[in-house]
Amino acid sequence: MIELFNLMRNKRLFVLMIGLILFIAALGFSLRDRQLSAPEKFVNDSVAYVQQWFYKPAGYIAGLFEDIGNIRSLQRENEQLRTTAAAYARDKIKYNVIEKKNEYLEKALNFTERQRNLNDYDYLIAQVVSVSPDPYNPTIKIDLGSENGIKENMAVVSIDGLVGIVKKVSAFSSNVEPITSLDEKSPSSKSISVTVLGRENISFGIIGTFDHEKGRFVMNRIPENDPMIVGDTVITSGLGRVFPRGLVVGTVETTPQAGDFGLTKVASVKPLADFNRLTEVFVVKMAETEEETP
Amino acid sequence: MTSGRLIVVMFLVFIVEGTLVPWFVPESLTGRIIPHFSFIFVLYTALYAGRHKALMFGLLFGLLQDIVYFGSLLGVHSFAMGLLGYLTGLLLAKRRVTMMSALSVIVVACMTYESILYAVYRVFRFTRESYTYALVDHMALSTFLQLGFALAVYVPVRRWMEKASHPARKPENEED
Repeated sequence: MIELFNLMRNKRLFVLMIGLILFIAALGFSLRDRQLSAPEKFVNDSVAYVQQWFYKPAGYIAGLFEDIGNIRSLQRENEQLRTTAAAYARDKIKYNVIEKKNEYLEKALNFTERQRNLNDYDYLIAQVVSVSPDPYNPTIKIDLGSENGIKENMAVVSIDGLVGIVKKVSAFSSNVEPITSLDEKSPSSKSISVTVLGRENISFGIIGTFDHEKGRFVMNRIPENDPMIVGDTVITSGLGRVFPRGLVVGTVETTPQAGDFGLTKVASVKPLADFNRLTEVFVVKMAETEEETP
Repeated sequence: MTSGRLIVVMFLVFIVEGTLVPWFVPESLTGRIIPHFSFIFVLYTALYAGRHKALMFGLLFGLLQDIVYFGSLLGVHSFAMGLLGYLTGLLLAKRRVTMMSALSVIVVACMTYESILYAVYRVFRFTRESYTYALVDHMALSTFLQLGFALAVYVPVRRWMEKASHPARKPENEED
């Protein structure tokens, strides 16, 4: 007991202990699901304002050297793009006809306003302003915030595919958590319900974990008789109502194997989007409905 | 005092580590080399301007980093930077610090910093990788980057800080 009193008399150690306890309390407190407070938003927005002067110019300079290296592959890429454009023009005509017909049928079947707007998405272009220097918290900051209509849990995509989820929103900037930090066992992570392009009504799976050591997503809860094969394009299914439908996530890399309990199967998915050196991303804004997304 | 100027410089360094550095890290090593340049400045403050200032700057810039890149935990960097800044100042206060000892202190402090980050994120279950994996994956490589940065800014920062804390004394030779 006397020793304890001596310890208390040592002011330095005492303050250190109090500080330690306060920090652990703050860490636990920040784990809660909450909106950002006003001072946090102010700091976020002002720092993001300064950061945007640095990130993009640096990207241009770094990109310049890369472009010189890529000049050879340009011609091949150009040819590829021409064939894709031709295919696109063909499909566009088909699409217009089908869209008209779909609209007509929806009207005939008395779809409600909400059902009709379910798959109407807006893509908001956002600039990346900085990347977090923390190995376990790879947050990306973008220059759109609640003033631009960004809300929490919106999906963020690049040209290649799904990149992340909006985690925290300030007035003029927001923090995006890349989907590489998905982890089913972590306290605040989300899971993405996915399906396969071309067999949207047959295939199903859930992506909840990113394996850092292999650089692949783990897709589990695949039904026993799923016809999934290697090379299939994995897209979001929109069943969870958090993510919109049809965002590309990656390609199936292994044939589904029996999972933990043998009831469902597990496969690994190679991400398509590049998570490094992003400059422009799109925030997918779903049509406004009365009810909030869960 | 030049505390104000130091804060401006540290803020710029903080901006740079999140915006410029990711572009200059080779693509194959992204996520494995992580800059903690403002932490280096906190350590230099501890070595040449006293532990209380280091504690203050550590808490301040740690908190800034926590808030700006807030993903899930608030206060990790603030805690680690404040604590290490203070401890470094406590251990080496009123001692003449040569370049070699300063750099070795920085290496040890950087490894401790990374380990504290790992420990906190591990306790709160945000990571499941083993310590050895984390050590090989990013801790060692990042420490090399930090060491390089510390070397690059050693001479100007030391001269500047000593001038700031002892205005009368002239800056001394580096090799003593």
